[in-house]
Amino acid sequence: MASHRFGENGLSADSGSSNYPTFHGISHPVTNYINQQESAFDLGELEEAIVLQGVKSRNDEAKRTFLPARPAATLEMFPSWPMRFQQTPRGSSRSGESTDSGSAQNTFSFQTDSQLEPESPLSEKASNQAIDQKPLQQHHQIEMANDTSKTGASPIQQAKPSEKRRGAGSASEKTLDAKTLRRLAQNREAARKSRLRKKAYVQQLETSRIKLTQLEQELQRARSQGLFLSGAGGAAGGSGTIISSGAAMFDMEYARWLEDDQRHMSELRTALQARLSDGDLRIILDGYLAHYDEIFRLKGIAAKSDVFHLVTGMWATPAERCFLWMGGFRPSELIKILLPQLDTLTEQQFMGICSLQQSSQQAEEALSQGLEQLQQSLADTVASGSLSEGTHVGNYMDQMAMALSKLSNLEGFVRQADNLRQQTLHQMRRILTIRQAARCFLAIGEYYVRLRALSSLWTSRPRENWISDDNSSQTTMEIQMVPPCHNPFSTF
Amino acid sequence: MHYQMESWGSYMPTRSVGDPLERVERLASENAVVIFSISTCCMCHAIKRLFCGMGVNPTVYELDEDPRGKEIEKALMRLLGSSSAVPVVFIGGKLVGAMDRVMASHINGTLVPLLKEAGALWL
Repeated sequence: MASHRFGENGLSADSGSSNYPTFHGISHPVTNYINQQESAFDLGELEEAIVLQGVKSRNDEAKRTFLPARPAATLEMFPSWPMRFQQTPRGSSRSGESTDSGSAQNTFSFQTDSQLEPESPLSEKASNQAIDQKPLQQHHQIEMANDTSKTGASPIQQAKPSEKRRGAGSASEKTLDAKTLRRLAQNREAARKSRLRKKAYVQQLETSRIKLTQLEQELQRARSQGLFLSGAGGAAGGSGTIISSGAAMFDMEYARWLEDDQRHMSELRTALQARLSDGDLRIILDGYLAHYDEIFRLKGIAAKSDVFHLVTGMWATPAERCFLWMGGFRPSELIKILLPQLDTLTEQQFMGICSLQQSSQQAEEALSQGLEQLQQSLADTVASGSLSEGTHVGNYMDQMAMALSKLSNLEGFVRQADNLRQQTLHQMRRILTIRQAARCFLAIGEYYVRLRALSSLWTSRPRENWISDDNSSQTTMEIQMVPPCHNPFSTF
Repeated sequence: MHYQMESWGSYMPTRSVGDPLERVERLASENAVVIFSISTCCMCHAIKRLFCGMGVNPTVYELDEDPRGKEIEKALMRLLGSSSAVPVVFIGGKLVGAMDRVMASHINGTLVPLLKEAGALWL
């Protein structure tokens, strides 16, 4: 890529048309030199090429009176050429290093200063530091030093172009000498080291990733086999609760259902945007409805084995649990949310939806009252006999048996509630036109996507009693949207 | 809502025996909305509240308060094809079904016309 760049422009040093000989490239002889390099193009080679170009354009110093300060500033931060910079302020004593100075001016900034000198004893370390920035450096050079001055750690120094020019000017036209060669070799070495480090890091990442997927698989296997210790559903923080195999299975199926949901939603969205025919849209929509039927079927099965998992909402995320009614969403509430989303309703449709909302409300009320009676009856049974006298074994078992049978009615209520939800969704589908219904169901899907996203944000919000390391203080700044106190629905 | 005690606990000779199912049909046709229930059943309570909430006055037969309630229960189980006999609703003498059917018909808008037709609702 870089070599292409260098070869592509026809700028030769002799043209005198450009003020940026370095940035624009190198004329052909140097290009050939580059092409002869076998290894991947790296900065060591870049430098060599540039040095050669510097040698070639020795004659054209006059053109180099001006280089923009800014690009130079970005480059100036790389203390990877300590020896070179070291020479420049002492130009007189090292006239023999003219080549270096010249090339220094070509490639980097004129803003070298003595500040960089102390780095020469640590040249190895410095060059290592610079290595990490080298790709960036290379990028900059090749991009002809765009305006952005990134990571400019060092302050911008005063440019003394002319002075250095003069120092360079006195140099003779020697080509590469020993010092330059040594430095180039050092840079090659540093580049090679940096490549190796990068490779090692990537390898580490890969193994960690593999380990992570293995762990996930193990967890899933353990789940499906029954008992497992973890937080269930979307709940955060494994508090060591044991959940039943029925619940675990439902959680797994629900997770899969959520993935399918995403797929259905995007399919529907694409179909709407592509303005497919009503017939095609109907097929997709019916598929989506069947998808909903599926979750109600799964919930029915789960209600048989573990109704409390559904009723307590442990299968859902915290924010969804806020709105939990009998193990799921409240249909009349959902309709209330959807009504403003449905514009272009006819009078009849509007009436239909209002009446749907009303019927749903009545049904919900009836079920709620039924459940209330169940609770009352259960409480009476559990409290029967004298509580203060403790348990009398004889009656105890009868009492418990009765309580158990009453408790089993809970499943019936959850089933009816799910039935209500299912009927409501189907009725919506019937009232609306295909396009309206498509938008409506997309709205429903999107609403729950947002609720689940809210839950994630909530569970990852910074809390006051977190360890105050750097990381958490960082997140405090980033995630300020949720007040870190008092979850009123924590009783769920 | 009124609870029918008809000839339940009395000593009057009832229209004897007969098929419990026949009795069910007879009872169902005597009123606009008839619900067979069990007093301790919470779902029955829910269905009663549903109709009352709509302004309907259903006739309720509590099977656990009937000496021959058991037979009726069994007959209803056979009729519905389900393990739970109650609650079950008849409107205008015709069988509507258990809680799920009643709710489904309410949601899809067919319950109210049925009630009006049977004279249970006037609004």
